[in-house]
Amino acid sequence: MNQLARDFAAAEVGSIFLYTNEAHPGEHYPHHTSMEQKLVHAAALRDRLHVDRPILVDALSGDCHRRFGSMPNMTWIFDSRGVPLYKSDWSDADSVRGMLDQLMALPERRRSGVRIAPFQVERMEWREADRGRFQKGLELSGPKAVEEFRKAFG
Amino acid sequence: MTDSDLLARYNYDSFVPELFEPWMRFDESPPLGEPAPDFPLWDLDSQESSLVAQWSAHRYLVVEFGSFT
Repeated sequence: MNQLARDFAAAEVGSIFLYTNEAHPGEHYPHHTSMEQKLVHAAALRDRLHVDRPILVDALSGDCHRRFGSMPNMTWIFDSRGVPLYKSDWSDADSVRGMLDQLMALPERRRSGVRIAPFQVERMEWREADRGRFQKGLELSGPKAVEEFRKAFG
Repeated sequence: MTDSDLLARYNYDSFVPELFEPWMRFDESPPLGEPAPDFPLWDLDSQESSLVAQWSAHRYLVVEFGSFT
């Protein structure tokens, strides 16, 4: 997602990481009990996991996250008026790139004289699920996070 | 639910289905094609911003939700 942000920045596409509750709280990154702690965890995302997009932190009560569905790693794309044009219950850079490519092509399609109209579609997509990388992420949180995920999903 | 109950339940302390599953309501999220609600957000220096400030500054805005864990 960092690379995606860089690839589209020149086309006036902004990208932010919106920091939520801890999905897998562990000994090293426990559940949040204060805004100060949440900001420290968000800084760790920048410093240890190298998220180089602007990181914005939600309220401690997760008001924004909860209103948008509370999924642990979802992605939304908004236009400049705040109208969502894409929402995915999981973040997948290839899927987001496909949507941005489509959005970038709109001006040319309009210039071509073809009348175009929006429509909505729902579909399943499949992402690469890198279990090894995910496991390493859980280990950063701590043994508790590893064990709880194992109990929940095997 | 009181504010303290909400804070404790949203910021669950263990990844067990009965604690995290009730929050996962993507089916109830705002629809596509209609203006979405605004919320305050804070940068890493604790400066307040908002979703509106973010999306209005760009042609399009990609928002990835998530956490360290």
